[in-house]
Amino acid sequence: MASSRSPLSPPDIGERIRAQFGSDVKSVDEVFGHAVAKVDPGRYREIASFLRDEPDLDFNFFDFLTAVDFRPKGGGFEVVTQVYSTRHNHSARLKVECDADDPRCPTLEDVWPGANWCEREAWELFGIVFEGHPHLVKLVLPEQFEGFPLRKDFPLMTREVKPWPGEAEGVEE
Amino acid sequence: MGLMDRVAMPQPVKFILNWGRKYSLWVMNFGLACCAIELIATSTSVHDFIRLGVIPFAHGPRQADLLVVAGTLTDKMAPALKRVYDQIPDPKYVISFGSCSNCGGPYWDSYSVTKGVDQIVPVDVYVPGCPPRPEALLHGIIKLQEKIGKEDIREKWSGKLTQPAVTT
Repeated sequence: MASSRSPLSPPDIGERIRAQFGSDVKSVDEVFGHAVAKVDPGRYREIASFLRDEPDLDFNFFDFLTAVDFRPKGGGFEVVTQVYSTRHNHSARLKVECDADDPRCPTLEDVWPGANWCEREAWELFGIVFEGHPHLVKLVLPEQFEGFPLRKDFPLMTREVKPWPGEAEGVEE
Repeated sequence: MGLMDRVAMPQPVKFILNWGRKYSLWVMNFGLACCAIELIATSTSVHDFIRLGVIPFAHGPRQADLLVVAGTLTDKMAPALKRVYDQIPDPKYVISFGSCSNCGGPYWDSYSVTKGVDQIVPVDVYVPGCPPRPEALLHGIIKLQEKIGKEDIREKWSGKLTQPAVTT
């Protein structure tokens, strides 16, 4: 029955992705009840299409897309995509790494149209270029705005005057 | 404005004119964030600023006397505020309601928030708070009415007061 609801547990979802794509899935974790898969940028779109089209997974709802700037910790950018299945009531998160100096990421706009605005936002706030996106123009920032404000090196007045003192001693992450 | 511009108003006439103007303020609701809820609450039956002669709400800026900027003004929204202000006919008054519109408030170090609407329009009364209670707005309105009561209408209509007071 098409409407039958059979949610998969996060490890099961991770297992399905790993079984299909093998070593192109770098890691599969469970974080706060969500399946989180770090995937290879080259097969990112393919994995997304698989998540959408596979009947057991059926991720028909694009939840959100954002990015993280890991450059202060020696990494690059990471694009985080969360998708959800309204039929099975389970969700999955895809993470894909981008280059620190020239961040580029394939678009998911043709897989889930909901990705369109999220990618525009990630583009204007982090400067990540979504290759294949049909309309990469500013969404929420004023047109004349310069810079990428959510990058860690974007200057803010307080931090110019007085640098962040760092985490308090004895506090672990 | 003809005679009013050329002749200093006798005190009784000035008093009557200002008395009439200060108790008939059509308010333009420029609600931008959570402070707008407090502004609307002030207009409803419990706090009821109609008893102070503030009439909610003008249908557009062209029917308004008083502009209440309530909430977080972003740099992207700033041209719209300037445009609404320019459309209000003179004499016009601005109340900056809440910390965000006074100075940026909690977003004082944000990349997108205008730190103070007085960079865009001249402000007559600042109401502090995050958000201020409706009573604070009532107090601000009374302060504005005191200001209108003492006002020289020639100066108000001279156009000198319509520039933002903030120096760069």
